[in-house]
Amino acid sequence: MEVLQSLAVGFVHVFAPANLVALTVGLLLGLLIAVLPGLTLVMGVVLALPFTYTMDVTAAIILLTAMYVAGTYAGAWTSILFHVPGEPIDVPMLWDGYAMARKGDAAKALGWTLTAALVGGLSAATAMVALAQPVARIALTFSTPEYFAIIFFGLASVVSLGGSSLANALISLFAGLLIATVGVDDTYGAHRFTFGVPILSDGIDYLVVMVGAFGLGEVFLRMEQRFTSAPLQSVDRVSTRLPTLREAAAVKGTYVRGTLLGILIGIVPGAGATVASFLSYGVEAQYGRRKALMGSGIPEGIVAPQTAATSSVGGAMIPLITMGIPGSGATAIILGAFLLHGLQPGPQVFETSSEIVYAVFASIFVGVIGMCLIGYFSARLLVRVLELPEVLVSAYVVMLCILGAFAARNNITDVWLIVVFGVIGLLCERWRFPITPMVLGVILGPLAETNFMTTMISFGNDWTVFFTRPISGTIMAVAVATIVYPVLRQWQRRRRLAAT
Amino acid sequence: MRRALAGALPYALVGGFASYLYYAATRIDFHRRADTLGPDVWPKLVLGLMIAVCLYEIVRVVLSPRRRGGATGVLQEIAEESVAKHGGGETVELGPRSPLMLLGGIALTAFYVWIIQRLGFVLATAPYLVAFIALGGYRRWAINAAVSVIGTLAMMFFFMKVVYVSLPIGQEPFAQVTLALMRLMGIR
Repeated sequence: MEVLQSLAVGFVHVFAPANLVALTVGLLLGLLIAVLPGLTLVMGVVLALPFTYTMDVTAAIILLTAMYVAGTYAGAWTSILFHVPGEPIDVPMLWDGYAMARKGDAAKALGWTLTAALVGGLSAATAMVALAQPVARIALTFSTPEYFAIIFFGLASVVSLGGSSLANALISLFAGLLIATVGVDDTYGAHRFTFGVPILSDGIDYLVVMVGAFGLGEVFLRMEQRFTSAPLQSVDRVSTRLPTLREAAAVKGTYVRGTLLGILIGIVPGAGATVASFLSYGVEAQYGRRKALMGSGIPEGIVAPQTAATSSVGGAMIPLITMGIPGSGATAIILGAFLLHGLQPGPQVFETSSEIVYAVFASIFVGVIGMCLIGYFSARLLVRVLELPEVLVSAYVVMLCILGAFAARNNITDVWLIVVFGVIGLLCERWRFPITPMVLGVILGPLAETNFMTTMISFGNDWTVFFTRPISGTIMAVAVATIVYPVLRQWQRRRRLAAT
Repeated sequence: MRRALAGALPYALVGGFASYLYYAATRIDFHRRADTLGPDVWPKLVLGLMIAVCLYEIVRVVLSPRRRGGATGVLQEIAEESVAKHGGGETVELGPRSPLMLLGGIALTAFYVWIIQRLGFVLATAPYLVAFIALGGYRRWAINAAVSVIGTLAMMFFFMKVVYVSLPIGQEPFAQVTLALMRLMGIR
């Protein structure tokens, strides 16, 4: 009951003019970014961050969250209509969505996408509201060893679930943790890795790492590829035709499976919308009622990835709000926005900033509905941005990266640093070192170190305490298993290959 | 052997740099307190693990240079298997890479960061955008110039008037141009 009351207050806040404007702008930007060539969802959220510096914290978080939600939806349009996935999330949409469009039913394919995003988004938002406070209450009972164990688990799963190479993901993570140590240490006042450079005494801002590696690095990469985009096919008329209730009821199992899978994957750090979308399609292709027809343009092949992708947003917000642990690149930036505005997400956030949290929760409900309305009426207009030359968009991306880095501390050295991190981001892409573990390492590094050091001080430098306390021990064991499992799988596969 | 060396190079570079940083961590200056871990412990722990992973990868690459990659992320594998099965991972045929364009872009951006303090935001950004767009192969000069100038002025207005960020105005005499523009746009 108390939760519903808080949510009602949240809705009142969302409909305040400033927040409503932020929500609408966020939705429009998210939809545009998902459609635009060469702009990823994470990059888009990074670029929007500087514009929120002077905004009220609630409006700022609402704007970024709206972008995140909308970004999981609009990329499907270009997959379905032009066979060009706006984001990696939308690759599964090529298999059935595009196939349906080729059969002459593009409007229906867009309609299935819309209902999937609506059902997935609203269900996940409900789950988020229902689960957040109980999870936060449990987290309140934790001490520093448990906190360190949770952060360790978060970082371990980021490394072991999503990365294309476990070793590279580990190195990327360690680099991030190390970058977070640069500057003056809080406890001893000792200079760490500052090498006599004054600006490094203040540390390297995580914003600089994010903007440089995600934003500028991606532009450099696309520049090397000469901003090559797929040629667009001509589409006569873009419209959306919603499925009837009877048609929707026939695939209700797919809606439920996709939503549950999306929420679950969203909660696990490191997985995110892309994996949710692929995994949900895979589950439908393996266990669905019409699995033999998957890939031929059936609604299940559209509903499964889209519900999972949109519902993963609600799932990802649960560990972010309740424990301050972001599970993906986009939530890492939203965490960054919380910190920029002096708000630390975690179990106490419901006591200290309940109004803000519930306003954000309510904004997701309103955002999902708003996103679908905008999608229904303006898809035709929005996909026209695909005609923009990518080099023009990229030039603006670079300018926004530079302005974003400069505006954070009004310091030109930060701008030099984003160029450095841009080159590092490019090298990471080239040598297949994932960037997300590094960014999460930079953000969670100080939290991990503080909890580790505090535990060591409290328990007389006894490191076994992480493994001997029941909760932290269990979490640590799961975390270690998360890292060991891919190695064992690889070893097993090699043995099987050698045997054949 | 050449393939092994090329594969091991990134790990050797990262491992070497991490070793140097480990050495730097042993020289962190602080007053040690009895029975309390110092500020060097956490970075040393991270660097030690980083060096260990690099060494493991170097050994793995050198011993079996033909074998591609080590263990991969579990969910990444699922995604890759789906793409392999259904197609669609590579929808865009990329043209040949252009290292020259890349180097040009990086050099241009570095030069822009250097010159922005001298010329100020407006006088440095508009020509930078024109040059960047031209370098990217866009040859419609009128649109290029319009997009660059209008974009620069719009950003200047937004950041200086709305977000209150004091963008660089440059050194004399260029500062006078920026100040005149600011007066014209009603920015104080």
